[in-house]
Amino acid sequence: MKRSVVILCLVVAAISLAATKLNVSTWGFNLDLLDKNISKPFLEKYGVEIVREVGNNSVRLTKLISQKDNPVIDVVHFADYFAALAVKNGLLQPIDVTKLSNFNDIYDFAKDPIKGNYGIGYTVYSLGIVYRTDKIKKPITSWKDFWAKEVAGHISLPDITTTQGPVLMMHINKVFGADPYDPELKVAYEKVRELSKNVVTFYKTSSELINLFKMGEVWMAPVTRFSWGQFLDTGLPLTWVVPQDGMLGFLNVISIVKGAKNLDAAYKYIDFLISYEVQYAEAMDLVDSPVNTKVVVPNEIAEKLTYGFDHINSLVFYDTNFIVENYDKWIDKWNNLIAQ
Amino acid sequence: MKRYSLLLPALIFLFIFFIIPLMTVLVESIYQPAKGWLFVNYLKFFTQRISRVAYTRSLLMGLLVVAVSALIGYPTAMAIVSVKNDSLKSLLLTLVVFPQMTNSVARTFSWLAVLGREGMVNNLLISLRVIDTPIRLLYTPGAVFLGLLQLFLPLMIISLTSSLENLPKDVPLAAKSLGATGFRLFTKIYLPLTSEGIVSGCTLVFTGCITAYVTPAVLGGSRVLMLSTLLFQKASVTLDWNMATVIAVVMFLTTLAVNYSSKLLSKAGVKS
Repeated sequence: MKRSVVILCLVVAAISLAATKLNVSTWGFNLDLLDKNISKPFLEKYGVEIVREVGNNSVRLTKLISQKDNPVIDVVHFADYFAALAVKNGLLQPIDVTKLSNFNDIYDFAKDPIKGNYGIGYTVYSLGIVYRTDKIKKPITSWKDFWAKEVAGHISLPDITTTQGPVLMMHINKVFGADPYDPELKVAYEKVRELSKNVVTFYKTSSELINLFKMGEVWMAPVTRFSWGQFLDTGLPLTWVVPQDGMLGFLNVISIVKGAKNLDAAYKYIDFLISYEVQYAEAMDLVDSPVNTKVVVPNEIAEKLTYGFDHINSLVFYDTNFIVENYDKWIDKWNNLIAQ
Repeated sequence: MKRYSLLLPALIFLFIFFIIPLMTVLVESIYQPAKGWLFVNYLKFFTQRISRVAYTRSLLMGLLVVAVSALIGYPTAMAIVSVKNDSLKSLLLTLVVFPQMTNSVARTFSWLAVLGREGMVNNLLISLRVIDTPIRLLYTPGAVFLGLLQLFLPLMIISLTSSLENLPKDVPLAAKSLGATGFRLFTKIYLPLTSEGIVSGCTLVFTGCITAYVTPAVLGGSRVLMLSTLLFQKASVTLDWNMATVIAVVMFLTTLAVNYSSKLLSKAGVKS
């Protein structure tokens, strides 16, 4: 009798142990801060241990595809484009937002960015213009200024294969008076062809771009807000411009994997991720800009985040699904245009 | 039999981690149960302008780096072998191997500092009044060439040195005593007797060049598209694995072909 009780207890313990883990697929940056701001308080609050699998977007998406029939991962963090690509591959399940107590506290644009409730934006960042004030005397106010002769030969643009590249191309189409949802992006490609000889190189990562600024190769470029702090750290006389024709907005989204085994914990995690406490802690540590509208941060923090009424209000978002539909074609066109 | 059993660990390793994956890639590039026959992807590869551009550039770049590294490497190897002082010789060899011990990413990035607009080369040319405004050296095929040459030249020198070391010392002496000098000594004695070293050096350098990713990505950028950067684009941006697989197979077969033809060439050279 005694023995069977012990065995029963062991079994119960084993089941409860197995059930208190949540498998999260995410990037490998700031892991110590994620532990401090998310893992630890989450374990204390819900008794669920977060197990992270880290890697870049494409590697993690590849893994999801290979585990499609028997997924290991419960929730996944993606850049919006890769989340849309995951939806296209049938890897995600819709989120029942009524289960999220903090859902109404986030910006409207973060609520359903890839449509169908397949993902919730949990952090936002902008793409603005950064330039050297000592080298460029002409005041920079618009995306069109990349075509000004004063900056020729000293600019860099994101490559089409970056997350920002295709969105910027859609925006260029719009800035020059065409429809941003033109599947051919005719005007944008024409304009970039014109500009191509004046571009030092088309950067692929923000660290590459920081290097180009440090070496004096590049004086002006579109820059992601999450890397702005590192640009400031270079000590160069740089300024951030909110272009009058709009700053581009991007979201990183959180989604639930189709067939996730720990659904209950997955919902708790998502709700926790967009809660005031986590969003505030992540903002204060400069990990992620908040989407929770209740978060208030001091000025010196706000300067390095995508934050504040004017900043957020100037953001322009484009439909990621449109990019997924046309991306292959756009990359081919780009290769043909840029590669000599 | 006993002799061959020593090979077993290496064979098992190669079989599991090289032959099986390679065969999987080869087969999947041609046939997938869910998609049927896929020859059309090869057709696509060779008919699209951009993949042809990337392929020819990779091929020519590889051959050029091989040729130049052989031209620089051979005299260097001869000089190292001719050194009598053993400690000086090992110092020289260490100097050759030394760059290989630094991370290739670091070596590639250091070229940015050399070739940049405010880099060493431009500053020197300006101070010598050869040019008045900095010229663009980065993000050109030339920059990729330099990067690859610096990366792989040591491999050529090492394989030529070991080949020259094995050359019996009395053979060149005998040839000299029979009246062979300079050019003839080189083409009739040195070249044929070190052909294996040349072939292995060429294969190592060529394979390195055609598969290198960081160097063309960092020093060439989007403008200088090569097979490896195109492969990366297909595999990790659009997840077009069919095309990525095709590119990988083309790369592999090209390396085999170059290796095989350089062997043939060297055999023909030895015979003549």
